[in-house]
This record gives sequence, C-alpha cells and structure tokens, in this order.
Amino acid sequence: MSVDVARPSPAARSDAVPARRRPPKAFDRPRFLRLFTGLFFVFLFAPIVLVVLFSFNSSRSLQNFDGFSLRWYERFFESESLRSSLLASIEIALVTMVVATALGTLLAYGLVRARTRWSGALNVVMLVPLVTPEIVAGASALLLFTQVGFQLSLTTIILGHITFSISYVTVVVRARLATISREVEDAALDLGATRVQTFRLVTLPELWPAILAAGLLVFALSFDDFVMSFFTTGESPQPLPVRIWSAIRFGVTPTINAIGSFMLAISLVTIGLALLLPRLLGRRESGMGVLLGREGA
Amino acid sequence: MSAITFEGVTKRFGEATAVRELSLDIRQGEFFSLLGPSGCGKTTTLRMVAGFEQPSEGRILLEGEPVETVPPYERNVNTVFQSYALFEHLDVERNVAFGLQRRKVPKDEIQRRVAEALELVQLRERGKARPRELSGGQKQRVALARALVNRPAVLLLDEPLGALDLKLRKQMQLELKSIQREVGITFLYVTHDQEEALAMSDRIAVMEDGVVKQCGSPEDIYEHPAGPFVAGFIGVSNLLGGVAENGGVRLASGVLCSADVPGDCAQGSEVHLSVRPEKIWIDDLEPGMSSVEGTIVERVYVGTTTQVIVELAPGERLVALEQNTSRARADDRWEIGERVRVGWHPEHSLVLR
Repeated sequence: MSVDVARPSPAARSDAVPARRRPPKAFDRPRFLRLFTGLFFVFLFAPIVLVVLFSFNSSRSLQNFDGFSLRWYERFFESESLRSSLLASIEIALVTMVVATALGTLLAYGLVRARTRWSGALNVVMLVPLVTPEIVAGASALLLFTQVGFQLSLTTIILGHITFSISYVTVVVRARLATISREVEDAALDLGATRVQTFRLVTLPELWPAILAAGLLVFALSFDDFVMSFFTTGESPQPLPVRIWSAIRFGVTPTINAIGSFMLAISLVTIGLALLLPRLLGRRESGMGVLLGREGA
Repeated sequence: MSAITFEGVTKRFGEATAVRELSLDIRQGEFFSLLGPSGCGKTTTLRMVAGFEQPSEGRILLEGEPVETVPPYERNVNTVFQSYALFEHLDVERNVAFGLQRRKVPKDEIQRRVAEALELVQLRERGKARPRELSGGQKQRVALARALVNRPAVLLLDEPLGALDLKLRKQMQLELKSIQREVGITFLYVTHDQEEALAMSDRIAVMEDGVVKQCGSPEDIYEHPAGPFVAGFIGVSNLLGGVAENGGVRLASGVLCSADVPGDCAQGSEVHLSVRPEKIWIDDLEPGMSSVEGTIVERVYVGTTTQVIVELAPGERLVALEQNTSRARADDRWEIGERVRVGWHPEHSLVLR
C-alpha cells in the first residue's frame, strides 16, 4: 500500500526511449519531482489544514491564530439544532449503509452468478448511477417525491442516498465475488449444504471483507453528501452538510470550522476502518485491495 | 444392484450436445473411469451425477433410485473437484467436518470420523492448518478426506490429480487405488490421462464428442480397441491404411498382411490395421509374421526403451518400441537411413474400421 506518485518518472521514461529531443535537464532530476509532489500535497491539503487549525482558534478571527481553545466545538455541541443535524446525518448514513450494502451485495451476487443473456447489459446499466451527474439524480428524486406526494423528510434523503450508493457496493462486492471459484460453492452443495446455507457458510465468509469495506465507503459517501441531501431534505432536521451550507449564507463563523473538522474526523475514521479492519481481523488482503478489486494486495 | 445407471442420458447446452444417449451401468465398489479428451462430455456426465446439471433426456439412477428430483445436497454422492475447492476460511479439520455437520452428526462422532479420515490420507498433524498453508498434494488429500468422510455411495473425482507434478501424480494414483480398495466405495473417475485410467481403473469408458466409444477393462481397451479413436487415444498405436480382403488387409504398398477381419467387414472396404509399438519386431523376424520393408528415419532414446520410427512409404510411418536390455541397445543396433524389415505376429494386429 505504498504511494507510488513518483514511479512513472520522466527520467525513467527518457532512459527507456532514446529520445531525439531530450526534455530540459530539470525534468531528469528527482529534486524537481519532490518539489512537484510537495506542491501537489500542499495544494490538496492546505485548505483542510487551515479549517482544522482555525477550528481550535480561541478568537473569532479567521486570519490570526490567537491560541488553542475548544470553544467552537463547545458551541457546536451546545446548539440543539446542530446536534440534531449531526444525529440526522449519522442516522441517514447508518440506514443507508445497511440497506444499500445488503441490496448492492445481492445485486452483485445476481450479476456474477446468474448467466442470462441480459447479464451483459445489466452489468453496464448498473454503472449508470455512478456517472449520472448528482444534480440530475437529486433533481429527479425531488420531482419524483413531489409527484407521488411523498412528504420530504429523513426518509426521502435516505431513499435518495440508497439509490446512488447501491452501485458503489455492487462494484466493490462484484470484484471480490468474481475471484471466488464457483466450484467452492458447488463443493458446499455437494457436502449437503442448501443454497441458503452455502451462501451463509461459504460465500459470505469469503465475501465479508469486501462487504465491510463497501459498507464503510457508503457510510462516508452518505455522511458528507450534499447535493442529493439538498434536494430531498425536508424542514428539519437538515443533515449536517445542508445545515453548514445554510449557515454559511449568513457569514462564516469559526463554528463552521469546528463542524467541518468534526465531519472530516468521522470520514477519516470510517475510511481508516475500511482499510484496516480486514487486515486487523486476520485476512491476508488489505481493505485497499478489496476496495480496488485486487486479490491479496 | 448397480451403483449408478445411466439410461439414455443426453445433455444439451443450447445448440451444443455435450453428452449423447449415454447408457452405462457402474457396479458397486467399482473403480470406473471416464476417459477422453477435453470437451468430450466426461465432466458434464460427472456433474449430472452430482446434481449440478440436469439431463435433457433420459435418467440417472443412484443405487437403483432415479434422482432427477433430488438436489445436489440430498444426493448420497460426494465430489473431489479439480481445483480442490477447499473452504479457505476454515482449517483442515473444519473443512473435513463440513459435510458431517450439515447432516447433524453428533459432535463426538464427527471428531472421531474426521480424525479417521485425516489418518487415511496421512494428514493427521495438519488438522489446524489453513488450506493456503498446504501444498498441492496436501490440498488434494484434504479434498479427498472431506468427501470420503461422509461415506457416500459413490465418490466422484474430476481430474483430481491434474494439477500435481508427475512424480506426485504417480504416487497419488497408487494411494487413491489403495484407499478405494480399503473403503470399498464406488469411484467414478474423470480423466484425460490414459495412463492414469489404465493404472487405476477396474473399467474404463472411452468418450469422444459425448459418445462412449468403448467400455471395458483396461486390458480389453488396450489390447482390443473398438475403433481408430480408441486405438489412437489409448497409448500409441500404428494405424496403417488398407483394404479388407479374405484373410487379411492389403496395405497401400501392395503387401497382404494376414489378420482377423471381423465378419461384418465387407471385402474391399477401407480399413485400418492397428499394431501396438511394443509388438513390432525389427529384423530377425520369426516365421509366420506379417512383415513390411521400410527405412529407419528416427531413433529416440527414452531410458528403458528406444522409439524407432520406420517409414514404409512417404507419409506412412510405424513406431516400434525396443527394450534397452544390456545385450542390445536399440540406438546402437540401427543407423538412421538403414533399410530394415519390420514384422509382427498376426494375432497382435487388429482390423479397425
């Protein structure tokens, strides 16, 4: 699980192909690459680091750091409405995780194991939610719910989240399932296990690292989703990202920084679990390998 | 009572026919092999017995009972898969215990029988190992123990030795045979390796394109192949084209070789004369032998024997196997390009249509 940012280095490439026009000398030097990589990470993480840093600022200032304090976190947790938004977000993410993981796993199982003439087409159609612009998905979900007279509430948000999450689960679980030999399932049937027992006793134990990783991925996706939540949210409580967005319209306060940092922490922990749990629980492969559909990373 | 009976079993996958009107009787306690090249329908036949495939026509009886409505998990057969198909998340003991647990066998009996089964395949010490910690041969033994521990009426083996190296394969052949004799369970064994089938089986069915070409004991099939396909598939066979005549076969070169022409073989019809390489003599022929003349074109030394390839006419070649005894090493006796007479006793030649 190393980060191979520097591997396809221009230097290596110019060695492999005796180029007629050699690139400028600076490109040959790893020093340039180091600088470039450094800049890349600064660009990527500087805003986030600033948000986290200023969430601990003791003053209201967003320019000067005046000393460490937890007052903005206190304010966040003291606010009744912010707390209910946080709980709503967690509830949405948990329900979405459970339902989407179950449905996505079943879909993956059907797609891999059922060999019909539709399987090819279905395998492609299943990917559509991944590439649909979320604003389109969100707007159409809103239209659908209002057309059928569905009151916008936490339920509508959860339904919206489930629709886009299923595909992620299916992609992750399907990759894993494809590595499990069908003969292993046949062997279980052969030894007297019914189809349901076979799934429970043989398929699921081989599959669960992928299911776990997919579930945690869905939790993270749902927890910080804004667009779908924005379209499908009702009066209150609004999920945290929508809540932050409405708050920002009345000016940025350091409390926003605290909320953002807190959300970041939750997401990092979730993804961290997705990567580490399979390994901690004694599986060969890392969660990263499972997420990327690799066998035994 | 037969262990397995096939009654006119046909299996089609869409347009393709994998097995065609198969009728066979496999006796209780028999080591029976289905032998044929890949794609001949032997594995499909096995999968139909296990219950993973349903016959398109005809029916299969296990111990006299038709099984078309019985799902795989209720059939009294167990399978050893080509890929072993061990459960990676369970240790060796729990792999072997899997079938007994499904049948709700009491715990202490499971423990005893698992230990016995592991003893039988000499893996007692590896009970706590995970499949990925085992070598190919050991995985093979676990797969065997996992199937045998259930004491099925029939054990189905799908090319179980295919992934092993040659030496281990030879050793496992002997072990499988002796285990089969010890437990007395009917073995239905699928293989494309004719030597393996000859070495282990009580009877062999040779299949081609979904059809059983011949069914009989190894000796039967080797010494009296029923047609050019069987003769060519089992061991090396020399097939010489010719025309059937009264009392023999007239080869293309004009020589009449005396042989038993089957009664239903019309005179003047085109036939093959088949002779096994080890039955062919070079020079020093005995009286009464059929003989032809040819040129030695190749000598291949293979340890205990030397293969000598003799060209009778352009495009028509014979392979002869000569023993490399201390008195006569075939690679010293003849030079490439030498003209020789090759011959065989008429009773060792076979007329095939």
